[in-house]
Amino acid sequence: MAEKLRLKIITPEKLVFDGEVEELVAPGQMGEFGVLPGHVPFLSMLFPGRLRFKTEESGENTLIIHGGLADVKDDTVSILTDQSEDPEEVDVATARKDAEAFQKELDELQDAEASEREELDKKLRIARSRAGE
Amino acid sequence: MPSLKQITTKIKSVRSTRRIMGAMKLIAAVRLQKAQAALMAYRPYSDAYRDVVLNVAALSESEDHPLLRVPEEKTNLHVLFFTSDRGLCGSFNSALIRNMQRYVEEQSEVFGSIKLSFVGRRGRDYFSKGGVATGKYYTGVNEKNSRKFSEELAAALTEEFRVGGSDEIVLAYNHFVSAISQRMTFERLLPLSVQENDDSGAESSSDYIFEPEKERIIGSILPKYVQVRIERAMNESLTSEHAARMTAMENATSNADEVIAKLTLLFNKTRQAIITTELMDIVNGTEAQRKGGNE
Repeated sequence: MAEKLRLKIITPEKLVFDGEVEELVAPGQMGEFGVLPGHVPFLSMLFPGRLRFKTEESGENTLIIHGGLADVKDDTVSILTDQSEDPEEVDVATARKDAEAFQKELDELQDAEASEREELDKKLRIARSRAGE
Repeated sequence: MPSLKQITTKIKSVRSTRRIMGAMKLIAAVRLQKAQAALMAYRPYSDAYRDVVLNVAALSESEDHPLLRVPEEKTNLHVLFFTSDRGLCGSFNSALIRNMQRYVEEQSEVFGSIKLSFVGRRGRDYFSKGGVATGKYYTGVNEKNSRKFSEELAAALTEEFRVGGSDEIVLAYNHFVSAISQRMTFERLLPLSVQENDDSGAESSSDYIFEPEKERIIGSILPKYVQVRIERAMNESLTSEHAARMTAMENATSNADEVIAKLTLLFNKTRQAIITTELMDIVNGTEAQRKGGNE
């Protein structure tokens, strides 16, 4: 493949990644999607989850991202997210416990307001992706 | 001529003031460094966010979402004015207030009513004396809580714009250029200036794919965008404030050094004058005694 994708992962704290990748898979709100060079312009909201991308130097990479959005335009993918984490630095046991707690809370909040449930749903998804589930 | 004691007291007091200003300069320098690092990290994020939002807005119709509405009449202007809480930062606040005053005068020819909201005490202290309608007021904003404050502000401002309480919302803050240079900026927050992006928008909305559908994306990124812009303005303003304080304290310290040097010179001259007078007295006295002995 001659052409490459440029991937930028930007959080409010820092520019996490800026470089060329061969392909990437992101957790879109309408389902996981992959991007290859030559993709049509595309804008998607992201769920918290795992972002995977392949580079020439380091092969497969995985990052946990806390939701946000992905903008694909002119072979450049910009991922804007609140926070990103390296899966290897995550304490899986705690994350699993958190996920369980959030799930329980969410079950109990069946008739709470939508925004409240959404907030909790986001937390749950973050915890799950940290736990690697 | 002041007495030696008076001069030493003065030198001492200038010295202790200088020490305080020196310490304030160091504190400002450290805080500037931190704030600047945070700002430099935040800029790419907020710029990227703006690009995405403007892009989406350019591909949308103003009917798609209430926040995209373009008011037909310019009646109510709401300006969010960023100043500092504390003084001792040179002309930081006075320059902001001067520019703000001019801006209010200019805009009052366009808008029927102008309302000012404040982040920072100095701006409110000045404008609350009358003349302009004042809205919300936030104080104690720093690097750690700027996200929380901006979320609160964004929610209030977007809601106000949505229901038509204001037709235009403007952010007025000091843009941080460098440690010695800040530029006052007036930035229109809402309505989005869609036209600006027209030249770059080669794609039409038909070949852009949105997931989920465009209306839902707009609904979630526009309020977030407002928050991001406000937080950015807060960070710019805070960084500028630290820079201004550092410069002001640096100038004050070197002024104090000058004053100390002048006073020390005065002290030495005075002391010399006293010694000379005393010597003259002694010489005169012995002269007089010798003359008396000869006779």
